[in-house]
Amino acid sequence: MSTVERNGDQIRSLNYLTENCVGCGICSDICPTTAIKLNPILPIARGLLKMDYININEDDCALCGLCASACPFSALEFAINDKNIKYMEEYPKWTHNSSIDDDTCIYCGACEIACPRDAINVARTLPQRKDLVTGEISIEDEKCISCGICEEICPAEAITTKRDQKQISDIKVDENKCVYCLICKRICPADAIKAVCRICSYGEQDLDPKDTEITGNIILSEYSCINCGWCQEVCPVDAAEITKPFEGEIVFQEDFECKGETCHACEDVCPCNAIKIEDNKSVVNSKVCVLCGACAKACPQNGIIINRYKMNLENIRSKSWQRILSGLVE
Amino acid sequence: MSIIIDDEKCGKISNCPGEGLCIKLCEKGALKEENDEIVFFPENCDDCDLCIQNCPNQAISKE
Repeated sequence: MSTVERNGDQIRSLNYLTENCVGCGICSDICPTTAIKLNPILPIARGLLKMDYININEDDCALCGLCASACPFSALEFAINDKNIKYMEEYPKWTHNSSIDDDTCIYCGACEIACPRDAINVARTLPQRKDLVTGEISIEDEKCISCGICEEICPAEAITTKRDQKQISDIKVDENKCVYCLICKRICPADAIKAVCRICSYGEQDLDPKDTEITGNIILSEYSCINCGWCQEVCPVDAAEITKPFEGEIVFQEDFECKGETCHACEDVCPCNAIKIEDNKSVVNSKVCVLCGACAKACPQNGIIINRYKMNLENIRSKSWQRILSGLVE
Repeated sequence: MSIIIDDEKCGKISNCPGEGLCIKLCEKGALKEENDEIVFFPENCDDCDLCIQNCPNQAISKE
């Protein structure tokens, strides 16, 4: 994190949050005083250069706050007298948003795996096995020969036996683990096990539905989320809803000779995992692209064009800011 | 096609701000280190231009 701060009538400060920055360079494109320099994003993304994606020249920065207003990833924060301008009515507001509906979510965790920013955390509690399958099991001590075969074969590891020299058995069945598959009953050479599966006889009615529910909690970190839409893409129950920062499309130059595997700069800098090299060519999955433009800046052939039609930033009151920001869209 | 490395701008790898960044970026093995100098192997070059774009000294250009 780096900070530019100056005290006048107001205390104005600009904070750069490295961990949120994706290296898209929107801030450096729009800075009215060209105080923000975008560093070579590809070597940084590959870990070959140890530096931040951007440098802010403190002497040139006018502390106007435009970069912080326009950063779609909250990597720049601007405060006046310690109040973030995001929460001040005079300043622009992003309307992009991500949410996951807790009531619809089935806690499958697909979004957690797909999220390229580790912004999702799924915690779930499964019901007890004994609440999902019911039955009865008992072992007749008089018949048991303490062979231990039931323990060895039990797929649920529900049976434990203890054997001593006198071959006296101490055999236990854990009813929380037993699923009443009846394998032990079938294999017991002494016919000492009595077991029955109640679910086979009575079906679902034997279960209490409230005990068989999966409960859980899903947390989507607004801080780390970049609204790429992966969660929405992979969710099997449509619990995720995403509005992206920009609307538009990403296209390739007509005469673009993509170098594919040789280069793969676009793939490496994309914060959304939206680009893959397939058949030695760059392929973009538009559904999970945020049109940030990092790939276009990293492509050494300048073969990628970002066409933004709309920026989901509202309440831009300043005419000069409107003029500058309109440069980001067509 | 081939690249040209401007010796005046390039200098030794030990002086390079990217510590031989072009070599690290080139996955085709067209740029290699020999005695602290960068040596270009045109037969391996695929014209991806990554070295040109990312050289911290802007020492690489196209022929």
